[in-house]
Amino acid sequence: MTAAATSHPVRPPFWRDVRVLRWVFQIVVLAVVALVLAWLYSNYRTNVARTKIPTNFKFLDRPANFEIPGNGMSQTAPVRNALVQGLLNTLRVAVAGLILATVLGTLIGIGRLSKNAVIRALCTVYVETIRNIPLLLLLLFANLGLVLQVLPRLTNAWQPLGIAVFSNRGIAIPWYVGSGWTLLAIITIGIIGARLVALWRQNAFDRTGAPARTGLWSAAVFVATTAIGWIAFGYHVTTPEVAERITIGGMRLDPSFFALLFALVVYTASHIAEIVRGSIQAVDRGQDEAAQALAFSGFQRLWFVVLPQAFRIAVPPLGNQYLNLIKNSSLGAAISYFELTNVTQISVANSSPPVPAFALALAVYLVISLVVSGLVNVWNRRLALVTR
Amino acid sequence: MNSPTRMSRFRAWARHNLFRTWPDGIVTVVFGSLAIYVALRLLNYVFVTGRWDVVRRNLKLLLVGRFPDDELYKVVIAVAVSALWGGVLAGLVIGRQRRAGTYIEQPKTPAKHIGLLVARFWPILAGVAVLLALSESFGPWIATLVIAASALAGRAVGLTVAGPVSSAPLPVKAILGLVLAAVPLVAVVALANVTGWDDWGGFMVNLTIAAAAIVLCFPLGVLLALGRASKLPLLKATCTAYIEIFRGSPLFVLLLLANNALEFFVPRSIAPGVVVRAVIVFTLFTAAYVAEIVRGGLQSVPPGQDEAAKALGLSPARTTLLITMPQALRNVIPAQIGQFISLFKDVTLAGTAMGVFDLLNVGRGITKQPEFAGLRLDVESLAFVALLFWVGSYTMSRESQRLEKKLGVGT
Amino acid sequence: MSNDSSNDSSNDSEVNADATTMVGNREVIITLEHVVKRFGDFTALNDVNLRVGRKEVVVVIGPSGSGKSTLIRCINRLEQHDEGRILVDGTELSDDIRNIQEIRRETGMVFQQFNLFPHLSVIDNITLAPRQVRRMPKREAMALGRELLEQVKIPEQAYKYPRQLSGGQQQRVAIARALAMKPKVMLFDEPTSALDPEMINEVLDTMKDLATEGMTMIVVTHEMTFAREVADRVVFMAEGSIVEVGTPEHFFTNPREERTKLFLSQIL
Repeated sequence: MTAAATSHPVRPPFWRDVRVLRWVFQIVVLAVVALVLAWLYSNYRTNVARTKIPTNFKFLDRPANFEIPGNGMSQTAPVRNALVQGLLNTLRVAVAGLILATVLGTLIGIGRLSKNAVIRALCTVYVETIRNIPLLLLLLFANLGLVLQVLPRLTNAWQPLGIAVFSNRGIAIPWYVGSGWTLLAIITIGIIGARLVALWRQNAFDRTGAPARTGLWSAAVFVATTAIGWIAFGYHVTTPEVAERITIGGMRLDPSFFALLFALVVYTASHIAEIVRGSIQAVDRGQDEAAQALAFSGFQRLWFVVLPQAFRIAVPPLGNQYLNLIKNSSLGAAISYFELTNVTQISVANSSPPVPAFALALAVYLVISLVVSGLVNVWNRRLALVTR
Repeated sequence: MNSPTRMSRFRAWARHNLFRTWPDGIVTVVFGSLAIYVALRLLNYVFVTGRWDVVRRNLKLLLVGRFPDDELYKVVIAVAVSALWGGVLAGLVIGRQRRAGTYIEQPKTPAKHIGLLVARFWPILAGVAVLLALSESFGPWIATLVIAASALAGRAVGLTVAGPVSSAPLPVKAILGLVLAAVPLVAVVALANVTGWDDWGGFMVNLTIAAAAIVLCFPLGVLLALGRASKLPLLKATCTAYIEIFRGSPLFVLLLLANNALEFFVPRSIAPGVVVRAVIVFTLFTAAYVAEIVRGGLQSVPPGQDEAAKALGLSPARTTLLITMPQALRNVIPAQIGQFISLFKDVTLAGTAMGVFDLLNVGRGITKQPEFAGLRLDVESLAFVALLFWVGSYTMSRESQRLEKKLGVGT
Repeated sequence: MSNDSSNDSSNDSEVNADATTMVGNREVIITLEHVVKRFGDFTALNDVNLRVGRKEVVVVIGPSGSGKSTLIRCINRLEQHDEGRILVDGTELSDDIRNIQEIRRETGMVFQQFNLFPHLSVIDNITLAPRQVRRMPKREAMALGRELLEQVKIPEQAYKYPRQLSGGQQQRVAIARALAMKPKVMLFDEPTSALDPEMINEVLDTMKDLATEGMTMIVVTHEMTFAREVADRVVFMAEGSIVEVGTPEHFFTNPREERTKLFLSQIL
């Protein structure tokens, strides 16, 4: 038995060597893919040369030749401005949609597990009806209802309590006047302050046993901070009033914005409801039973034991639904809501080159998708239970 | 004395589920009356005030588009053949299960049997009933009878031949498998020869595009999943890139892109028509989702399976084909069906993006016909379209849940 | 192929026990020389040397994490060793795909979790490898399968599916499946650890029968009675190294190393 240093086995001939074979296989596959892509590209070049449509991104600087209602962009502004407006509109409807859909979906999901048979039945009917029809159909219904048939004309607009105006030109609500970013900053500072105060009070309770009252303290700090900021920066609120053909003051929400928001929220909520229901049911029954044995009340069991664990399970599919909602916002084109896809489509109709334009739109959606799914992954990883 | 016990059972149920506490009771009364009110208004609309002529007159258009009238019987034959084929498959599967002793059947009276069938298939029955109620001629009645009969006949045939087929030698089984797979294809191609692809429309086109896409995307999806799961870095990167790009893109935008740009990427001579373009986009798009589903399936197969196969000396190709893939695919059948249902609903996007004459597009178009224009009949038309989609989608999802329970897989 | 049959047991003075000495006059069938296996920073096998002779039954015991499973998984390439040499019946285990396949044909493995193929019937589980790898015709394979099921005493289960069998029955099917390839060596990775107590004996009895018939076996297990009754040699591993080797009599009644004594006191 030699006490030799490690000896490596004899190298096999390369056509049987596992490592060589692996690389050869990969290279062959990639060669095939490359060939296909090359063929597509060459076709593209010949066809484009024939039709003389440019294939670069210079179109972004050319004048748009169309208007986007609601924000005073002129016709001569470059295409890129229009696209940016479109993106902002997409984000508006997406953010509002995500929040509302989550709230509604969670309520209905919990409702499906309710002890009351009527609530259970209603929630089930909601989910099973909405989930099984196409979103586009729902959108057209919403557009029909909200825009064309339900809301009255401006002259007979419905003005509840004199603070809002509902008409087929949109819904106008009271809104603040001032910079939105500053307001966001004020609110963020308020939230951070509230959190810090909550931690401080919790600490005080742990140390001295004095009642924490974190809720009261945090709320007070938040309200105080926001109020100070509001007054300091000179914000005020305007209410809308009906003028000749439009409303003045407040913020007017496009009817098609509402229709899209409504459809997205109702549709996505039905999926979220199923996810919430599934994740609550996926929490081991033993958890609920252990909590019962510890004399937790029903609400306490839900809040402290079941929901936190259900939440963990729900995050990946929930993230998926969020991505779906963002992608589904592209259907705004079907009802003339000027989100990114619609704007791209219109600019192509106004002689922007189609391939670069749509490719750009796709790239934007991809980036948004990647960012959102990255955030969801981070969130998920932080929630993941560490196993042995 | 049956009534008292039934009554008291109902009372007990009501007390437990509807009136457990005071707030509970109030909720029941309030929401219950609201629900009843809405339901009554709905029924009133459907049976009394709704103006359904626009649907009645255009039933053919909604179902099969601009298919020439005198060739309609070919569509019925094609559907009947498909029903026959479906029945044969069902019969074969049940027969095989009966032989292996894994088919659970309880003895039931004919009345109970029918009751169970109704409970299982009531959405389809309701949909067919609506179609028949709206039809203006005998054609649809005859078509329904023919199709139902074919399905039942197919099932009976499948059950009787299940035995001999199972014990047939492998080459015979392979040939039979190919024949079975070819039947729907032949039916579709035969129909396509009657009139060009682009004249197809209505519900039929939704089903056909969805079916074509799901069949074509499956091999691609499986290959992508295997590529992504492999340890070879270049392959993994390419497949992952494909999957993430298609999953991160809105389908609507892809359809718009294809509509405007697909002809740039292929030589002039084979520029495809609208339906083919839609099928291409749906195939490429769905393949990415199928790849993720199959990847989940592959991950759900315990690694011990692969190790056992390796230890026995099975080559990697054989292991994947015989051991890993069958288990992976079986585990994700419910998810696959869910994907097909999504696809079925998403074909409506092709109507808006590319002008494919699908059911939704037809529904929007018929309200603009001369005799109906300006009458605000959109709600009726869209409601009918919604019903058809709902019946199709709900049925598939219920069958999928049933399958899930039987297979014992899925969430 | 080396015909080394050293019979001297005079290596008692070495601390790192020499597991290359076999009992009796046997032909070497498995050789491990200076085998090292690492998982990242963790060294699972640390300069392991072992020789196993034909028809020899070697039982490997040790605490969890000692590397015993890794050891036998390296032999059929389920794990890839980083340094050293492994030879099975003269064929060296390397990156050569032909060698790997050949060694896997000649070794059979039985897993702790059985790993039967759930979508195939019992008889299909057993006949799959002979038909696919050795290209045995179906009729011959089925006959072989039935014979093996007789050998493990469950011939009536042939057409059932794994989920319809008890744990002990499943593991016996797994043994039959491995035997169907007519291997020269059988590797057992804690075959009874996942079984309910009342089923352990039926599996151990099957393994005892195999040993009596002269199969070369390397068994990783916690079943000390099996080791005492059936093993030709007992190998004790801890922290990736072979600590002590000996015949069952020597091992259980008169262990040399402190580590061995500690382990035995914990389990016996």
